[in-house]
Amino acid sequence: MPVVELNINRIRKLVSGNVTRKQILDVLPFLGLDIESEEGDEIRIEYSPNRPDYSTDYGIATGLQGLLGIKKGIQKTPIKKKGNYSIKVESTVTKIRPYVTGIIASNGKLDDVAIKQLMNMQEDLHDGIGRKRKKSSIGLHDADKISFPLTYTTVSREHKFVPLNGSTEQTINEILANTEVGQNYGSVIENTKNVPIIFDSDQNTISFPPIINSALTTVTSNTKNILIEVTGIDKEAAEDMLSVVVSILQTAGFEFNELKITGNKNSTPQLKEKTMIYDPKFTSEIIGIEMSPSNMVTCLKKCRLDASVKGKKITCIIPRYRFDIFSPMDLTEEIALGYGIANIEPKLSPSTTIGQKNDVTIKTKLISQTAVGLGFLEAMNSSLTSKKVLYEMTKRDSSQIISVLDSKSQEHTILRDSLLPSLLDNLSKNIHESYPQKLFETGVVFSKGKPIDESINLAIIIAYKDTSYSEIKAIMQSLLRTNFKINSETKTSKNNELFSKGRHADIFVNEKKVGEIGEIDSNILENFRIRTSVVGFEIKLSGLIFD
Amino acid sequence: MSQVFHDIEKKILETLQKVPNQTPEQLSTNTELSIDQVRRGIEWLRLKDLAIVDESQKVTFSLGPNGLDSLKNGLPERKLINMLKDEPKTFDQIRSALSGAGFNVAIANAKKNGWIKIEKNNSESLVSIKEKPIETPEEKLLSFIGQKTISQEQVSNPLAMKILLSRPNYIIETSEKTKTISLTDAALSLDTSASSSGAIDVEADVPSVFAARTHPLQDTIDEIREIFVNLGFSEILGNMTQSSFWNFDALFTPQDHPARELQDTFYLENLESKNPATSSQIKNVSSSHNKNWKYDWKLSESQKMVLRTHTTCVTIKHLAEQKPENARIFSLGRVFRNEKVSYKHLVEFNQIEGIVIGNNTTLRDLMGIQKEFYKKLGLTKIKFWPTFFPYTEPSLQTMVYNEKLGKWIELFGMGIFRPEVTKPLGIDKPVLAWGGGIERIAMLKYELDDVREFYNNNLSWLRSV
Repeated sequence: MPVVELNINRIRKLVSGNVTRKQILDVLPFLGLDIESEEGDEIRIEYSPNRPDYSTDYGIATGLQGLLGIKKGIQKTPIKKKGNYSIKVESTVTKIRPYVTGIIASNGKLDDVAIKQLMNMQEDLHDGIGRKRKKSSIGLHDADKISFPLTYTTVSREHKFVPLNGSTEQTINEILANTEVGQNYGSVIENTKNVPIIFDSDQNTISFPPIINSALTTVTSNTKNILIEVTGIDKEAAEDMLSVVVSILQTAGFEFNELKITGNKNSTPQLKEKTMIYDPKFTSEIIGIEMSPSNMVTCLKKCRLDASVKGKKITCIIPRYRFDIFSPMDLTEEIALGYGIANIEPKLSPSTTIGQKNDVTIKTKLISQTAVGLGFLEAMNSSLTSKKVLYEMTKRDSSQIISVLDSKSQEHTILRDSLLPSLLDNLSKNIHESYPQKLFETGVVFSKGKPIDESINLAIIIAYKDTSYSEIKAIMQSLLRTNFKINSETKTSKNNELFSKGRHADIFVNEKKVGEIGEIDSNILENFRIRTSVVGFEIKLSGLIFD
Repeated sequence: MSQVFHDIEKKILETLQKVPNQTPEQLSTNTELSIDQVRRGIEWLRLKDLAIVDESQKVTFSLGPNGLDSLKNGLPERKLINMLKDEPKTFDQIRSALSGAGFNVAIANAKKNGWIKIEKNNSESLVSIKEKPIETPEEKLLSFIGQKTISQEQVSNPLAMKILLSRPNYIIETSEKTKTISLTDAALSLDTSASSSGAIDVEADVPSVFAARTHPLQDTIDEIREIFVNLGFSEILGNMTQSSFWNFDALFTPQDHPARELQDTFYLENLESKNPATSSQIKNVSSSHNKNWKYDWKLSESQKMVLRTHTTCVTIKHLAEQKPENARIFSLGRVFRNEKVSYKHLVEFNQIEGIVIGNNTTLRDLMGIQKEFYKKLGLTKIKFWPTFFPYTEPSLQTMVYNEKLGKWIELFGMGIFRPEVTKPLGIDKPVLAWGGGIERIAMLKYELDDVREFYNNNLSWLRSV
């Protein structure tokens, strides 16, 4: 989950003058925000990816005002049609990045802390809703540096401008090659000859979406009027992004002016609220508390939504930036939050069902108990292991190897098809401990099938200087006889590099091979740096003691 | 005090009761035990305050080469006197008769004894006897020692010994440590025959043996499974390898969601599930995605095989297939995340998840089940916080107060399956779901701060925990 670092005094100021530090810290978790750490006035807050508005103190303050009862209901966003702001979309972008949306935020002021927060929020929006800028990406500009109208079009990769934080003109190709954002996100537009660009009426480059803005329009603490532009391949996602930034800038004190958008499939954003009419009975049934509709309306307003009772139904108005709300179930959660999770009393209803363990669990446990009774210590190893342990050190056949893609851990790249290799690895890591060492493991092994078969195996291993084939065979037969009355035989098998020549066998039950048993070959032991004798066996329990 | 004696102890006790103060060697002879057995027995008895070990130093003297020569021929000063018996002699004459260093020694000692006088005559020094030389204490000691070795106590004139010791190679002094064993008063009166025969020392230290046991993490898994069963839940099993359809799509996770990327989820190389679900399940899930997430859902993405990232795929599949009216079900097993392994993250860990469908499926019931679950684990100080999970709404997490750490920690998560999850699969009733990682609870139980310890199979830990 993303984390944001905030100053508690700033939040207090934004919420209202009287709110105490303690009140804020107490209420934050009930907005769904985890306080990760607290150092002086700086707090680190973990927020959910479905609430990008909580990535700034403005968004959090709006939420806190609601739960604390300071300000309730929706903040309406009036969009003026003053001025003549517009952007024209040319058809050349259609196949590359077809949509643009935007708005003008005016008569506000951002300090350096707020600008920094907005930049971080932009990155979170890019990674989340924007899917690493592929779906949509956002740019904020000083509107007073721009001559409207704007044009959203394409240019060749030889086009030059001074990018944000740069001092000299660079071509598109140079920007993609030399800047960090160019290297990270260049792949979004890698398959096109021309790239998206926004020009103003003086033919100044304003933005090269989804990579970088122009230096010309850099937003500073002196900026009064801001152009927000969002481009993308998904119109909905682009408007989602815009709505979040608008809600934040509104809390920061900005007003909004329309940016007219013309061009194929594009339209001027309305940022209209959504209306949902639903039956309050549903909420009572889900939460388990009889609540009056008017009480529910209060709860919804505390969550900064608008609602009213109409007949037997509730009409709820949801601001555009709350696109995490899909259905009445989401409103139910809002009501629960408005009611206060701490105010909901847990209730224990008697179970009307009888619990039961799975047969496989029960029988595997029986096997474990016998193994412990025979003096074996239980080991637990990962299902994901390495090629080295599973195949190379044990000289096992790797033709049916099952790999995972792009593992971050070298030791976890292959799904195991056998338990013995990991047990040998365990012995190898315990050579300084006293002998005898006796281990067992029961666990899932994987093999290629339709598309993968999973079965449960049992493996046992004994290590000390006097151990022998007869000892392990006696253990194996006792394990199968105890509780399960299974008689097993061992039959000479063809050579297998894991075991010493002439000292290993296949295990048969009712004429069917179920496993292998033997003395581990000295070359294998050397690979694991084990300096004593080792014997072991592995059998497939699936199909033998359960299906 | 133990009244039980080992046979070795018994023999030593009895021998010393007859003859007190013996060396270990003497005891070995008298008891017919080996010297090692005697030493061990003495040590045991000493620890029981029955034997006293006196360590002393014994010094002995015998004659060295010069001493033996003097025994035969007299000390150099005596040789000089014998030479002067008839007439005085010059230094040169004496020097030629008494070889080497003997000259100076003989002159010096004879002079010190007052036996001789020296007169200077021209350039010659003439030596003559002054008075009758009687036997000196040193000479007496030399002849007393003779060929024997004597102890320090036998030396009657320590001064004479001191003088002889100061003259090189006359006396060989040796010192050796000896132990003398005696019994304490308590031991002297002990009746060893009273101790029951064949009894052993039940208080003695013994070598360690280690209990065979099930793995501590397995014990925690079993304990939690037991609690679920007691709460009326029945166990279902499912594969660790799953199609993306059941791991993600059926749980309303859009196909371009970051959680589905290679860097978070393990995809299996070149493996896919041709028919991950029934055609109506695929159709309904697909249209739920298209409608709610507004994108173009692709079957091929849902066919990719992954290592399950949660056990929810098992429970949701069970619900979709069985459509139970009233059930409490749980699924327990390993889940996988493509993460860097660290003290708090594993790529593979155990998760349990329970679901309730049918009666009593309100948020309050869900919270009540949690409360009861933690009570059975011995955790009573709990509270609930809202949180976010992609496939439940509302979603809560349990915070449990840990006395040792002095803070609230996050344990299981819970929620009600979103209608966007259940409706397309033909489930009309609310479904409560709750669960979480088991290692976290086991870490608290075994007071570990590194989760990797569970899978290291370090024998010293497994044998001692």
